[in-house]
Amino acid sequence: MEVLLGITGKDFTIICASKAAMRGATILKASDDKTRNLNKHNLMAYSGEAGDTTQFAEYVQANVQLYSMRSGTHLGPDAVANFVRGEVAKALRSRRPYNVNLLLGGVDPTTGKPSLYWCDYLAALAKLPYAAHGYAQYYCLSILDKHHHPDIELDQGLKILRMCTDELKRRLPIDFKGVLVKIITKDGIREHDYVDDKQILPA
Amino acid sequence: MSSPFSINGGAAVAMVGKDCVAIACDLRLGLQSLTVSNNYPKIFPYGDVYLGLTGLATDISTVSDLLRYKVNMYRLREERAISPQTLANLVSSSLYERRFGPYFVSPVIAGLNHKDGKPFICGFDSIGCIDFAKDFIVSGTASDQLFGMCEGLWEPDLGPDELFETISQALLSAVDRDALSGWGAHVYIIEKDKVTKRLLKGRQD
Amino acid sequence: MSRRYDSRTTIFSPEGRLYQVEYALEAISHAGTALGILAQDGIVLAAERKVTSKLLEQDTSAEKLYILNDNMICAVAGMTADANILINYARQAAQRYLLTYNEDIPCEQLVRRLCDLKQGYTQHGGLRPFGVSFIYAGYDPQRQFQLYQSNPSGNYGGWKATSVGANNASAQSLLKQDYKEECDLKEACGLAVKVLSKTMDSTKLSSEKIEFATVGRTPEGKIYHHLWGADEIDALLKEHGLAKPVDKDNEE
Repeated sequence: MEVLLGITGKDFTIICASKAAMRGATILKASDDKTRNLNKHNLMAYSGEAGDTTQFAEYVQANVQLYSMRSGTHLGPDAVANFVRGEVAKALRSRRPYNVNLLLGGVDPTTGKPSLYWCDYLAALAKLPYAAHGYAQYYCLSILDKHHHPDIELDQGLKILRMCTDELKRRLPIDFKGVLVKIITKDGIREHDYVDDKQILPA
Repeated sequence: MSSPFSINGGAAVAMVGKDCVAIACDLRLGLQSLTVSNNYPKIFPYGDVYLGLTGLATDISTVSDLLRYKVNMYRLREERAISPQTLANLVSSSLYERRFGPYFVSPVIAGLNHKDGKPFICGFDSIGCIDFAKDFIVSGTASDQLFGMCEGLWEPDLGPDELFETISQALLSAVDRDALSGWGAHVYIIEKDKVTKRLLKGRQD
Repeated sequence: MSRRYDSRTTIFSPEGRLYQVEYALEAISHAGTALGILAQDGIVLAAERKVTSKLLEQDTSAEKLYILNDNMICAVAGMTADANILINYARQAAQRYLLTYNEDIPCEQLVRRLCDLKQGYTQHGGLRPFGVSFIYAGYDPQRQFQLYQSNPSGNYGGWKATSVGANNASAQSLLKQDYKEECDLKEACGLAVKVLSKTMDSTKLSSEKIEFATVGRTPEGKIYHHLWGADEIDALLKEHGLAKPVDKDNEE
C-alpha cells in the first residue's frame, strides 16, 4: 500500500511518496521519508522490501556523490537514471536481488528540462511524463491521463496531484498517513508544504 | 507467475523486399495488463543495421546496451561499420554466453549486405539460435498474430513503398488482436543508401 | 652515477628525478611532430608521418591519428606499439562509461583515465613507462571543445594550441606567435599546415607525409570528427601553397 507518484511539467518535477512505514498490516511510523537526494538536481523515491530500499538508496546516493567529488561535475538526470537501472539490473541476476521500485525525478541544470524516470524491481526503465508505483498506478494514472499536459505550470501540477491523493484516500483500504511532496526545479530540490488535513470520505 | 517473455509485452517484425528490407516494432511497455508507457521503442540502430528486441524490458535495455558496446568496439577496431551477417553472429554468441541464465529476449535483425546489397533478415531464440529466413521474421507477444498476417500479406519482390504498407498493415492488425502490445509503431524501411523511419500512431486503447 | 638509479622506473635519483620517465620523453622528442589547435568552432589535429617509403604498403588507416570515441580523437607521438595498448584501453573506458551512464564520457575524465594508467607505470616496479605522448581533441556539452596533452609521466593539461614530438619547441613558439584566440576551424587548419611545414625537414608537404583530422559541428549542430583523406589534405596544402610539385618523384 505504499504510494509513489511523479509528475513533470514545464520546468519542474513533483515527487510524492506516502508517509506511512508499514510492516504487514501494522503502521510503524507516520512520518517516513521514502526519498533520497542523489545530488542537487536529482531525487529518488523508492518503495519495496524494507531493508532493500534504504540499503539500495544509500548505496546509489553514495555513488552519485562520489562521482561528483571525483569529477567535479554532476551527473544529469539521464545519466543518473541509467546508472541506477544498471545497478538494479546487476543485482537482479545476482544471488540477492534488490526488491525496490523507483521513481527518479530530476531537472537538467543546463537545459532546465525536467525529467521523470520509472524503474521497477526488474530494472525496466522508462522515461515518462507522469508515473506511479504500486496501487497508486491503478487509481492515479487514469486521472493523469485525463488532466496532464507536458507544459503545465507548477500550481496546475499540484492541483492534479491533489486530485490523485484525494482519490487514493477515497479508494485505498488502509490509511497511508498522507504524502510527502518534493519539487525539483533548476534551483534544486525543496520540500513542499502539502496541506493534507481535509477528510475524504470513501465513495 | 507468467513467463518473463510476456510480462512487459511488445512485438517486432522484419520483412524482405526487392533491394530493401523493413523492420517494425510496437511502442507499448506494460506490467501484465497495465500499460506503463506508450513510447517504448524496441528497435535499435547499429550503423545501418537494425536490431529489434522484444521480451523482458530490462533485458531489452541490457542486451541493446551491451551490443552497442560491442559494435562500437568492433567499428573502432576494424575501422568500418558492422555488416548484418556479422551482427547476427555477434548477437548469437552474446546470447549463448548466457546459455544457463538467458536474457529473456527474442531479437530480430534487418539490414542490407555491405558488399552485394542483398537484403538480410534473421531472428533468434533467447539463447542465440539463428533463424535465417528469406521472407519475414516475427517476435514478441503478438508473434502468433504476426505469423498469420505476414503469411497472408507478404509476397516476394515488394518495392520500398509496398513493403512499408505491407509491414505496417501486418504489425498494426496483429497488435490489435494482442492485449499486451500496440499503442503505435515505429517502421524502418532500409534501402541501399537511404533509411526511412516512420512513426505510426495506431490505436491508443 | 645515473646507472644506479635509472634501471628501475620506481626509484628517484638523488636529484629527485625519474630517469626512465625522462628517457621516455627523450624517445618521444625524436618522433614525428604532432600538433593540435583549438578554434572557436572546432579543433584540428595534424601529425607528421615519419616512415614513408615506396615499398611500404600505403594503407588507408591512419598511423598517428586515432578515434577514441564518438566525441574524441587523438594524435600520437612516440612508440606506436605502446600507443595501441593505450588507445584500446581508452576506447574500452569510453564504451564502459557509455554503458553505465548512457552518455559520452566527458573529455577530461577520459584523459584522466589514461593518465592514471600511465602514472601507474612510473610507480610500480619492474615495468617501463609507456613511450607515448598524446594530444586529445574532443567535445562534451559541459565544456564544449577541448584540447589536452599528456605525456609518459601521467601528467596532462588543457591547451589552446600545443605540439609534441620532434621540433616541438619551435612548433610551440610558432603557435604562440601566430595563434589567435578567436580563430575559426578553417584558419586553424591553415595555421596547422603552416607550422608543420616549418618544423618538418622538407618544406614542401604531401598527403603521404602528414595526417589531418578535425572535430567540429555540422550546420545541424551535430558534433563530428573526421580523419581527412589524401585528396582533402592535398587540397588544403595547395590552398596554402605548400604542396609538393607533382612531377618530382618521392626518392627514399
